[in-house]
Amino acid sequence: MELNSNVPEGPLAEKWDTHRFASKLVNPANRRKYSVIVVGTGLAGASAAATLAEQGYEVQTFCIQDSPRRAHSISAQGGINAAKNYQNDGDSIQRLFYDTIKGGDFRSREANVYRLAQVSNAIIDQCVAQGVPFAREYGGTLANRSFGGAQVSRTFYARGQTGQQLLLGAYSTLSRQIHSGKVSMYPRKEMMELVLVDGKARGIITRDIITGELERYSADAVILATGGYGNAYFLSTNAMASNVTAIWRAHKKGAGFANPCFVQIHPTCIPVHGSFQSKLTLMSESLRNDGRVWVPKQPGDTRRAGSIPEDERDYYLESKYPSFGNLVPRDVASRNAKEQCDEGKGVGTTNLAVYLDFADAIKRDGETTILKKYGNLFQMYEKITDSNPLHEPMLIYPAVHYTMGGLWVDYNLMTTIPGLFAIGECNFSDHGANRLGASALMQGLADGYFIIGTSIAHYLGSGSLDPVNTDSREFTDSELQVQERIARLLRCCDGSPEGKVTVDEIHKELGLLLWDHCGMARNKEGLEKALAELPAIQEKFWNNVFIPGTGTELNQSLERAGRLADFLEFAEIMILDALERKESCGCHLREESQTEDHEALRDDAGYSHVSVWEYQGGQSAPTLHKEQLLFENVTPSQRSYK
Amino acid sequence: MNYKLTWVTIMFFIHFVKSSIGKKWIMACSGCFLLLFLCSHAAGNATLFNSVSLFQAYSDQLHGHPLIIAILSKILFSVFVIHIVTGVLLFFQNRSARSSGYKVQKRAVKNSLASRTMIYSGLFIMFFILAHTDAVSFGDHGTIGLTISSLFSSPGTIIFYIVSFLILAIHLSHGFWSMLQTFGINHPKYNPLIRNLTYAIPVFFLLLFSAIPLLFVI
Amino acid sequence: MTTTSISLSLEIWRQKDSRDKGDFETYTLINISTDMSFLEMLDVLNEQLTREGKDPVAFDHDCREGICGMCGVVINGIAHGPEPETTLCQLHMRHFNDGDTLVIEPFRSRAFPIRKDLVIDRSALDRIIQAGGYVSVNTGGTPDANAIPIPAPVAELAMDAASCIGCGACVASCPNGSAMLFTGAKISQLSLLPQGHPERHKRAMAMVTTMDKEGFGNCTNERECEAVCPKGISIRNIARMNREFVRASFLS
Repeated sequence: MELNSNVPEGPLAEKWDTHRFASKLVNPANRRKYSVIVVGTGLAGASAAATLAEQGYEVQTFCIQDSPRRAHSISAQGGINAAKNYQNDGDSIQRLFYDTIKGGDFRSREANVYRLAQVSNAIIDQCVAQGVPFAREYGGTLANRSFGGAQVSRTFYARGQTGQQLLLGAYSTLSRQIHSGKVSMYPRKEMMELVLVDGKARGIITRDIITGELERYSADAVILATGGYGNAYFLSTNAMASNVTAIWRAHKKGAGFANPCFVQIHPTCIPVHGSFQSKLTLMSESLRNDGRVWVPKQPGDTRRAGSIPEDERDYYLESKYPSFGNLVPRDVASRNAKEQCDEGKGVGTTNLAVYLDFADAIKRDGETTILKKYGNLFQMYEKITDSNPLHEPMLIYPAVHYTMGGLWVDYNLMTTIPGLFAIGECNFSDHGANRLGASALMQGLADGYFIIGTSIAHYLGSGSLDPVNTDSREFTDSELQVQERIARLLRCCDGSPEGKVTVDEIHKELGLLLWDHCGMARNKEGLEKALAELPAIQEKFWNNVFIPGTGTELNQSLERAGRLADFLEFAEIMILDALERKESCGCHLREESQTEDHEALRDDAGYSHVSVWEYQGGQSAPTLHKEQLLFENVTPSQRSYK
Repeated sequence: MNYKLTWVTIMFFIHFVKSSIGKKWIMACSGCFLLLFLCSHAAGNATLFNSVSLFQAYSDQLHGHPLIIAILSKILFSVFVIHIVTGVLLFFQNRSARSSGYKVQKRAVKNSLASRTMIYSGLFIMFFILAHTDAVSFGDHGTIGLTISSLFSSPGTIIFYIVSFLILAIHLSHGFWSMLQTFGINHPKYNPLIRNLTYAIPVFFLLLFSAIPLLFVI
Repeated sequence: MTTTSISLSLEIWRQKDSRDKGDFETYTLINISTDMSFLEMLDVLNEQLTREGKDPVAFDHDCREGICGMCGVVINGIAHGPEPETTLCQLHMRHFNDGDTLVIEPFRSRAFPIRKDLVIDRSALDRIIQAGGYVSVNTGGTPDANAIPIPAPVAELAMDAASCIGCGACVASCPNGSAMLFTGAKISQLSLLPQGHPERHKRAMAMVTTMDKEGFGNCTNERECEAVCPKGISIRNIARMNREFVRASFLS
């Protein structure tokens, strides 16, 4: 597998211009002769589909939900970053670039991140022109806030629903293209397989979720915009249907998978209540500005929070990190919460939670001030938990939130398969080992609105593609593979469910395994244990899973089973990748690699690279390739928050 | 005369009338006209509070202008027909837009009696108007004072009238607000006033009209 | 937070596919934690049905945090259940009592054909947006974001309208199966903002015409939509749409 990042030569700030100038173009009159498939309609997918259609390409777009407007980008709360410097507080493209690459703990490609910062401003212009109702100052100009510990106010927001508003903006431009006939929209269709012809991505096989029918679609290029794989952990802040299937199918057809172990775990989520729990809800990180995190000093203390006297409380973040206190970065806060709970000091019904206490802040600033700042969050918390944070401390616990890993892509966002592109969360490109708050929306829209158009033109303009026919052997074979897979899934479903397992049971088992051993803190022993235990779960799944119903109807159990089957395979490279990366960096702590003060220790000499995994067939172990990361414009520095 | 332009205008109007919002406007505009008629009718009838003879004089005065009466009554009749026909049409169209009802029939809005029963209250009012015009309007206008007096000598008629006014009030209570909403008048600054008027206007008409038959009892 | 367990009797609409006639089936659930969300309760039911070898109840859901608009059923006659401004996924079982019978039906409207059980087809709403629910601006070449000042109160009003999640509860709860709150919200958002002005007439005409064509009923101002809307979208948006449409009909 050859990993050529195709980063253009020249000074960092000129690379994108240089690249655009060097890229091939397709004559506007010829564009209608080319077709492009876009899988996924989140920020990246919808914006890419609309933009390509505007440019004149024939676009076919697919999503698994009943409407393109439901993609999980819609759930993003906080905001979107841009280097507009509207607040005149010293922001610049260079600073946004530096913050993003530093936030990613120097595990991302300089050129990609710089380009992201460069196009960030155009995104805001674009969204405003579409009618996205961003928050405004009384004078009518756009409002900004500081987000996720950033030193400048560069985050644009629309209440706590920025993701929704940006997605609806992209959805509306997509809708316009659907109306014009340039985009054919296929909702409720799940991509089951990627079709390669002569080694190039030329189509996909989908399953119609309503009828169960398998269908073939061909095109000149395929763009995947299918989001992250956080649901490998079963419990995450992701939507229920978020999955790894599309990118995993692509990986099995030859696309390299980069940094699969880079998973962001968000510290302030509403904790798990019981085994029935299906999903974790994120609470804004801003809560830690005024809340104090603590647990009882005595493990197993079952008293109510209010009855635990001050000197029996352990404000562990404040004592461990006196200068940052409760405002330590996400990964540190998350890791410490899990440590406390592992020591038996966790609170709540499941003992998997820590307190986030506002009592002191209320005493200091008064209820009104606190409610003004956090009223809507308190309301949301009370709605879900039936407990009022004004009177009782909140219970919080970390949860899987975002996956920085994904398909390896070059500067063109093309994977190692020619003609297959990956944009948005499903590629690995911009966030390194950790993502800054309010940067996911920025990346999705940058890829879709402003970058992919150049790449597609360059790819289509570079060489002639032979016409393909969906009756060809490649399509027939791929469809057959899908058919066999579905038949294999349904194999155990004749007769009684007695002695068999359900999809969710296996998924929970996999999730727990990954959470325990491949979560925030990892060590060799645990990862090897996970790797050893994984085959048994896979076997149990394939031999014992009971899926009611058939494959030729709306069958939600079958959909979940198909996605889980891919998570089960995918988990292997996730653990392998974690095992191979013997350094602590970004979101995760490798226990063998820490300072004397038990802080994360990055190893730039050994691991300043992107780990890219190549599929070698089911029986052989996947192989690891490395793309070395060169830092010519920034100097990697170690974080310190003591 | 530019026939083409006229035709375009007519097509535009037909398009508007055929649209859902166009039909709402027809209901609202005709409703507004009927409300204005109700005001003038109430003003005329209020002469009864003075004396039957004043009322008779008012009637004589009114019918002294046969041309105006002829035109106005035709317009009034047409507006009634438009309001009723559109209302009934909408009722059936809307019913078919909901494929089938729910097993549990429940409303999320409290106090939805008036809005739920618009078609029924409307049809009842239509029957009332038929009965009323039959008994009063088509009789001899020269002796209308006497007609009224004899009409309200029967307690059954009085009860029928008062019940009708009650239903009219219910119809109005939703109709008035609904009309403003259709015209696009919904603003937080004026909504409290509108809310008060939705009570005040029906109650005003209920009291005023109900008092008339009661005059003849006392 | 006090966790208790309740038992429920569920009457759920079961329908194999679009052609099937469909009927209610009754299920009993015991030991339902009051901390569960309504959808988690359905998950538990489906696990139970799967273990019994029966077909689980198909229902739409995705984000489970009240924003994607995918979920929605009618519980005892009320879309999204008894709690105001709450989607189904954010409705918790603590709002129900031990021994309750819950009748669970899909959102019903002529424009929303049922696909299976509680899963419906809401693509008619997408087609309303496709008709004109956008500002016709291509990617690139847009003016600076601060070029047009928009007063904060106007931006807030537009945001109120824009928070629609497209779940279809307004249609489901309307006695006339009308989509005017949905359509009015989008028309409002774009007519409030200056970016939407150049196309406001065309947009209002196109969206209302499509709405009528899709088979939605007419608004009789019964306010049911507003009462069940999980995002609390006001019928003031319908009033605004009425104005926009009339203006478009007579002044364009």
